Amino acid sequence: MNDLWNNLNGSPNIQDGGEIGVVTQGSLTEGVEMKLNPDRSVEDVKAGKFVVIEGYKNQFFSMITDLSLDATNPEILLYPPREGDQLLHSVLNGSSTYVTVALRPMLMLEQGEEIVDEPRPVKTIPSHFSKVVEAEEEDVSRVFGSEEKDDRFFNMGTPLDMDTPVCINLNRFVERSNGIFGKTGTGKSFLTRLVLCGLIKNKKAVNLIFDMHNEYGFRAMKEGGQGNSFVKGLKQLFGNQVALFSLDPESSRQRGIQPDHEVYITYDQVAVEDVIALQDELQLNPTASESAYLVYAMYKDRWLRQLLSIDGPDVEQFAEDIGANKSSLSALHRKLKRLENFPFMVNSLNGADAVDTMMDYIDRGIHIVLEFGRQTGMLAYLLVANILSRRIHEQYVTKSEKFYASQNPEDQPRHLVITIEEAHKFLNPATARQTIFGTIAREMRKYYVSLLVVDQRPSGIDEEVLSQLGTKITALLNDEKDIQGVLTGVSNASGLRSVLASLDSKQQALVFGHAVPMPVVVKTRDYDEIFYKAMGDLSDREKMEKAEAASAAIFGD
Amino acid sequence: MSLAQLDISTEYIGEIVESSTSQFTSESRELNGAPPFGSFVKTLGALPVYGLVFNVCTHSIEPNRRATAYGLTEQELREEQPQIFELLKTEFEAVIIGYGDDQGPQQVLPPQPPGIHSFVFPCTESEIKALTNSGDFLRSILCGNRLPADDLIIASVRNAWEARALEMPYLVGIGKDLCRLIRDDYDRLSSIMRRISQ
Repeated sequence: MNDLWNNLNGSPNIQDGGEIGVVTQGSLTEGVEMKLNPDRSVEDVKAGKFVVIEGYKNQFFSMITDLSLDATNPEILLYPPREGDQLLHSVLNGSSTYVTVALRPMLMLEQGEEIVDEPRPVKTIPSHFSKVVEAEEEDVSRVFGSEEKDDRFFNMGTPLDMDTPVCINLNRFVERSNGIFGKTGTGKSFLTRLVLCGLIKNKKAVNLIFDMHNEYGFRAMKEGGQGNSFVKGLKQLFGNQVALFSLDPESSRQRGIQPDHEVYITYDQVAVEDVIALQDELQLNPTASESAYLVYAMYKDRWLRQLLSIDGPDVEQFAEDIGANKSSLSALHRKLKRLENFPFMVNSLNGADAVDTMMDYIDRGIHIVLEFGRQTGMLAYLLVANILSRRIHEQYVTKSEKFYASQNPEDQPRHLVITIEEAHKFLNPATARQTIFGTIAREMRKYYVSLLVVDQRPSGIDEEVLSQLGTKITALLNDEKDIQGVLTGVSNASGLRSVLASLDSKQQALVFGHAVPMPVVVKTRDYDEIFYKAMGDLSDREKMEKAEAASAAIFGD
Repeated sequence: MSLAQLDISTEYIGEIVESSTSQFTSESRELNGAPPFGSFVKTLGALPVYGLVFNVCTHSIEPNRRATAYGLTEQELREEQPQIFELLKTEFEAVIIGYGDDQGPQQVLPPQPPGIHSFVFPCTESEIKALTNSGDFLRSILCGNRLPADDLIIASVRNAWEARALEMPYLVGIGKDLCRLIRDDYDRLSSIMRRISQ
C-alpha cells in the first residue's frame, strides 16, 4: 500500500526522462515558470538541472533556477491534511497544492538546428503549456559538442543526473582570460588541473603555471583522500611536454622531484612596478612609488640593488642626495629589506636567465609549471609572478608586433595562458590598474597572452577585470559578495545566483561564459585512471610492457 | 446491451412515469424495491439514456390520500391488512448524466427525453466505468437543480470506485477533478473525500 501512495505522490519509481511539466507563465526578462507534473516528486528536481522546453518552432535549452511550493487556497496552508490522510494528500497534490519551477532559457535552437558557430541568444519565450522535458543525451551533445566531433571540445564532466559529457570549447576558452572560483576545499585546484590538462592535451595554448602550493607539477594530495592517496600531476601525465621550474630546488628534491630548472631572480630584474604590486603585502605608503621612481631615475635597472646596499643610517643622506623624502625613502628601504631574505633573490646569475629559458620552452610549445616549494608566502608569490609575467609579456609584445609587421604565420607567437592563484592579490581594485596582470586581463588576446585566474575570493578582484573574464568555472560560493562578484558582467544573473549557492561542495561547478553556449552545472569528471588514460598516460603495467616491447625491438628477445 | 438480450420481464427495476431532458421519475417495479440512492440506471430505447438515482420515495397511489399509522410491525400488517400494500407505490427520480450512441455512453444530455413507460434497468459495470471515466458526471450533479449534491457525489463516486475494484489512482483522479469543480472549497473537498473512503 505504501508503494501505491508513493506512486501517487510522485515517487522516484516514476521513470526518468519524459515530460516533467508545462510552461504556465513567464517573461523574457524574468524567465519562465513551469508547473511540475503531479507525478513528479519535487525532490527529484534540482536547481541547476538542464531541461529542454519544446516550443512550437524552437527548443529552449534551460536551467532550473528556483523551485517553490504553492497552494491555490490559503485555507489548506492553515489546516493541512491530517497525518495519515493519504487520500486527501494525494488529491491535493498537483491540484490545489502544486510546485512551480522557475526556468531560465539560456539558448534557443530551431527544431533540428545545430550550433554552427555563435550560439543564438534567447530572443523569445515558449508559448503557454509548452512541454518541458528532461534533456536527453543527444541534446547535451548538440549544445555542448563532443570530443569525438572535434578537438576543440574538452569533456569537463556531466550535467546533473546525466551521463553525457559536457564539453567546453577550448578555442573559445583561450580567446579570453578566464576564471576558476570557489570556496576553499571545493576543488578549485582540481578544476584548474582539469582545464590545464585539456589545454595541454589538445594543444590549444602554452601554459605558464605559478604553482603556489606545488599541486600541479608532480603528484598532489587527493582532497578528502585517506592515507597515501595522491593524484598525478601534469608532469606525470604529459612527460616531456611539461617542464618543471622550481624556486626552491631543495624542497622539490625532498619531495622526490627533480626540477628541470631552478629559478633565480636578480635584484636588477625587479622593476618599480613589481614593487608597487606589493603595496598591500609590504604595507607601502602611497609615496613609496614616487621615492622608488626617484631612485630608478638615478640608477636605472640597478635601483633596487643600489637602494638595498645602503645601510640604515645612510638612507637619509641618500634621500637628500637624490631629492627624495627622507622618511618615505627610509620606510621603503626598511620594507624592501625583506626581499633579501628570499633565497631565490641573487645579485647575479650563474646560468641562463629564467625568463629566457622559459621563453625558449614556450616557443617550443612546452608548458611550464613553476613550483614555489617552501616559498609559499604571498610576498614571494606576488613578487616572482609579477616579475616573470611582466618580462614574458614584454617579450610577447615584441613578438606580436613583429608578427603584425611581417604577417608571416611563422612569426605568430604561440598563445600563452598564465595561471595565477590567489588572484585577488594581483587584481584587487587598488593594484589591478598598475600590475601586469591587470593589463593582461584587460587587453585580452591582442598580444597572445591571457590569464587563468584561480581564486577563492572573487569579490576582492577588480570589477573591470571580472567583467572581462571570458569563461568562469565556479564551484560553491556562499558569500553574497563573492557570488555577486562572480556574476559581474553576466546578464540576467538572478537565476544563476541561487544555482551557485546550492552547488554541492565537491565535484560540482557552474560553467558559464564564452566557452559554453549556455551556463551549465556539471558534475566534474573524475580525476582517476580513466582520466589519465584519456590524457594519453599509460598505467605502470602498460608502460612496462611498452618499454619491454621497445627493448625487444632494439635488442632482440 | 440490446433490448433483445435482456429478459425485460425479469430484469427491469422500474418504469418511467415522468420524463424531461434533465431528469426522469420511474415507478419501482416492487414496493420498496427502488435502486439505491446514487446508483447508475438506464432506459432502453432508440437512444439509451443514463441516469443517477437521487431521490426515492414511497407513498399512496391516490394523490389525495396518505397512508395511516396502524401501530403494527410490517410482518403483522402483512398478515392482518395485506391489501394496504397494494395501495402504496415506490418511485425514484434520476438525474440524466448521458445517453448512448454508436460509440457507447456519451456524457451529454440526450436529444430527446426517455419515453414514458420505458423500462429502467441498472447499469452494467462497463457502462458505469464508461460514464465515470472522467469527472464530467460530477459537473452534472453540481449543476443540477434541487439535488443533494454532496451526498450524491459520495454515493456515485463510491459506486464508480467499486466498479473499478477500489483502485486508489482512480479515486485520486476523481478527487482532483472534484477539487477543481468545487473551486478549491477545501472544507467541502476534505469532507467529501473522507466520507467516500470511509
